[in-house]
Amino acid sequence: MLRLELYKIFKRPRTYISFAIITAFALVIQLALVADGKNFISFALQGVNEQFDVKGNILNGYLVTYIILQSLLVQIPLLVALVAGDVLAGEANMGTMRLLLTKPVSRTRLVLVKYTASVCYALLLITWLAVIALALSVSIFGAGDLINLKSDSFVIILKDDVLWRYLAAFGFAALAMSTVSALALFLSSFADNAIGPIMGTMGVIVVLMIFTTLDLPIFNTISRYLFTTHMIGWKGFFDDPVPYAAITRSAIILAIYTVLFVGATIWWFNKKDIQS
Amino acid sequence: MRKVLLAGLFSMVASVASAQQMEANLLFTKLRSKIDAVKDYVATVDMKIDVSFIKVPKLKGKLYFKAPDKMKLERNGGISILPKNSINMTVNNLLPASGATVIDAGTDNIKGTPVRVLKVIPDIEGDIVLSKIWVDEKRLLALKTETTTRDNGTVKMELEFGKFENLSLPDRVTFYLDVKDFKLPKGVTMDYETNQQPPPKPEEKGKMKKGKILINYLDYTVNKGIADNVFTEKKK
Repeated sequence: MLRLELYKIFKRPRTYISFAIITAFALVIQLALVADGKNFISFALQGVNEQFDVKGNILNGYLVTYIILQSLLVQIPLLVALVAGDVLAGEANMGTMRLLLTKPVSRTRLVLVKYTASVCYALLLITWLAVIALALSVSIFGAGDLINLKSDSFVIILKDDVLWRYLAAFGFAALAMSTVSALALFLSSFADNAIGPIMGTMGVIVVLMIFTTLDLPIFNTISRYLFTTHMIGWKGFFDDPVPYAAITRSAIILAIYTVLFVGATIWWFNKKDIQS
Repeated sequence: MRKVLLAGLFSMVASVASAQQMEANLLFTKLRSKIDAVKDYVATVDMKIDVSFIKVPKLKGKLYFKAPDKMKLERNGGISILPKNSINMTVNNLLPASGATVIDAGTDNIKGTPVRVLKVIPDIEGDIVLSKIWVDEKRLLALKTETTTRDNGTVKMELEFGKFENLSLPDRVTFYLDVKDFKLPKGVTMDYETNQQPPPKPEEKGKMKKGKILINYLDYTVNKGIADNVFTEKKK
């Protein structure tokens, strides 16, 4: 059944749009940095350069990968929602949901299989991102020490200490995208058309991101409970020392949200009157 | 009779002061010429930067110095970080060149070593306004300096000597500096909040902070000549 769901996902041209978008996005950033990376670096480091001389191979593949990941914070969830928002609503839209439910499979299992298929797609997308961003950037710019600029400090991570952090970060990003998939699946269970859940997922993420990024005291209390705040937990692997306790807390919160969204989808889908 | 005695006492005090002044001048000149004997060096170093907003592991590399004012840290293709005007991290540049007024400021003790304190005011107007030097007279070494500069605030440095003390080259230098706060908008950096550090108190915001750089010199290659292009950044 999972194989069938994966087949459905990967036979659609729409699925590959996401891979093409990620490729284009990464290539555009890489080309821009090849052409004008020095100016970008001097602009980014102007606060540091007032007091310190930072020299050497700053613009290396590891930094370029970090810039790509940072720039794709909002776009990747949208690409994940493109597929996950369609898995239930798409069946309803095509009128195949009732036919699907005639199979001797429980609705709970159907939801779980569809969710698993969406997560597989998200994992492939993250893997592709890792290849195109990390492998390609390192082959173009070479490896080197990584500078991570934070709002109140900057961290330098030595070259030999970077790669495992990226692997861990991509692993964490996969978990975050599983939560986005769960949200899109949940919204998908309410709709008979994929556009609503896709836009709905994107809308929720964009609005919650505002709470996360705007540093206002009124938002601070709320933002620590929002999954969007914890989606950027991958960045923790680029701190020194790595805040393992905070990353674990973020991972747990994302897992709780995932279980809640999938659980709510199962509950709603089981009691839903399927008419299409 | 009393007048003769007073005049004698005054002339004695004056001659002692003048002798002290001459001694201080001589000490400074000797120290300066010992330091000036090193025209260039390449040193293998490890460096620990202890500044609140910089998180960087111990950096190992080669430190190039060429008198009077060239310095570079090279880390085999890695990123190097040095304070602006890092040349101030060498004794050569913290002591005014020979033409200076030297004042004997008495004696002191650094880690059990008796030292003479000299205050040096350069005759020629430059970046250095005043240098205070704690000199181990026996070994002719500057163990501590406190230099007030026109543009870079007060620079304090402590030096520990060992294998290369005959060349006035330290084994270990602790360099103290004042640093400004580092701030970027959170909307740009998209920080991951970990609650590791409490936010700074309002009264601490914008204030200068104390920082420290520790350099361990593991070995030196001295006066072998270094080309000027070593100090220019390589174009990629």
